[in-house]
Amino acid sequence: MKTSGGLLAAPLAARLEPLVGASAAASPPKSPNKVPVIDCHVHAGMARMAGDAEDLTDPWDTFNDPELTLRHMEEAGIDVSVIFPVENWSYEESNKEIAEICRRNPGKFIGFARHHPERESGRVRSLLHREVEELGLRGLGELHEEPSREMLDTLRELHIPLLYHPERVALYQDFVPDYPDVNFILCHLGSDDSGDWREHQAGIQLTKTYPNVYIETSTVIIAPYLEKAIEELPAEKILFGSDGADCDSRMEIYKIRVQKLPKEKEELILGGNLLRLLGGHL
Amino acid sequence: MGDQTLVIDCHAQAGQGVTWNEPERLVDYRVEGMLERAAEFRIDRICIMAPRNESYGDANIQVARLCEKLPGKLIGFAVHNPQRDAGRLKAVLTEDVRSRGLKGVKADGHPTREMLDVVAELGIPVIYYPGHNPRSDLTRMFHLMAATFPTVNFILPHLGAYRSSPWGAHFEAIALAKRHPNIHLEASGLDGHQYLEVAAQDLPAEQLVFGSFAPEHDARVELYAFKLLKLPPDQEAKTVGGNMQRLLQLKG
Repeated sequence: MKTSGGLLAAPLAARLEPLVGASAAASPPKSPNKVPVIDCHVHAGMARMAGDAEDLTDPWDTFNDPELTLRHMEEAGIDVSVIFPVENWSYEESNKEIAEICRRNPGKFIGFARHHPERESGRVRSLLHREVEELGLRGLGELHEEPSREMLDTLRELHIPLLYHPERVALYQDFVPDYPDVNFILCHLGSDDSGDWREHQAGIQLTKTYPNVYIETSTVIIAPYLEKAIEELPAEKILFGSDGADCDSRMEIYKIRVQKLPKEKEELILGGNLLRLLGGHL
Repeated sequence: MGDQTLVIDCHAQAGQGVTWNEPERLVDYRVEGMLERAAEFRIDRICIMAPRNESYGDANIQVARLCEKLPGKLIGFAVHNPQRDAGRLKAVLTEDVRSRGLKGVKADGHPTREMLDVVAELGIPVIYYPGHNPRSDLTRMFHLMAATFPTVNFILPHLGAYRSSPWGAHFEAIALAKRHPNIHLEASGLDGHQYLEVAAQDLPAEQLVFGSFAPEHDARVELYAFKLLKLPPDQEAKTVGGNMQRLLQLKG
């Protein structure tokens, strides 16, 4: 079957769009007071693996196309996306690529650096300083490995947030109490693709416990846990993310919009909170 | 698709049991919330079936009772374990369909010849998700079965891979559906929308069906995935309801 253009989507759209607002269908009009819609979790660029690590096997170790992200952003009414590298063996080159993608698309992307705490051990501090101070990157993520003290100390020095996707939410307990002045963003509501609902519960609890831990919404499939997070947490603690470009930001933002939250809450989740974590400026 | 086109959610759950997806948790799925969302988004009919149970006799009766109360809204599917219910499937499924008004069956276990013989006789569709383990690749689970029972309509949930894990199984499911017109793909619970886009490109509209796996998933979000395909109206109408209308032999 052939898929085709937007005009042909009208019949089903008629059932769906009135309930989610016009902003889901097109870029909203820009106004100086509008809170920007920010997707805080998007991968971009090329994978460069080494050693015994596989590459060219999965979307996350091949390439994530920023042009696809831009197309989805336009359609979903997302103003800005936070981008960081896909899987790499080490990240110096890929972080430069992220900075270059940001430079080529002014106003559309905020770049985060990524590093491997073990493979790049001993170099993380100097690399991160250069990436933040010279390349303009604004945070660290998405980390899958437990962050090293070297990393955490550098985050503290640079006043930048960490987006961390742990194997288990409980791993956060190893370092969060020691770094109350660093902001942490827990990915996937604690469990990628809702692989383990107990981790969603643990993630919500962790976010309740620590004022500097925020929770990000990408790839939640088991809907009642997203609803639970929205019900139990202050809106100030929840951040919209998509895990694009592999995951579709149009779908991920719809999961938030369909909740029909009060405008102020939705604005915080869809961008206001990340804007605050970045110091109030894009 | 005009307002007359039915939107049918082919895969929702009702009643008590444990989750199909692991780790298990106890559930008591109520239809009220699903019906509210369905009304809001004009999902016309919902196919409901029990969550996982040790035995399904009572659970299927509960599903049938719910459907009796709301016959224009709910369509009941039985659930049976073909291995546990061996020897009695003809009797129980015939009673489910002919006496209780259930319209399809979900297989909790690989469908057997005994199950599919009675399914063929009753003319009902089968929902079957084999899960993922090294001995249950989709080709092995579906190719011979679909070829042996060409008149039975199979619905394979989650485009063959819940949570898109492993994502390659989506491509296997699409290849199977290409070969067997009696295999239909339901697309709930995917990690990435691009897999549904590939299915829509590669398959005739007649082989994609909207199902939500509600209330575990949000039916509004799962329906939105079909909107994003931007199909021509006649094809979209088939995917979101027309195909299920045909499979269930429902009048408009």
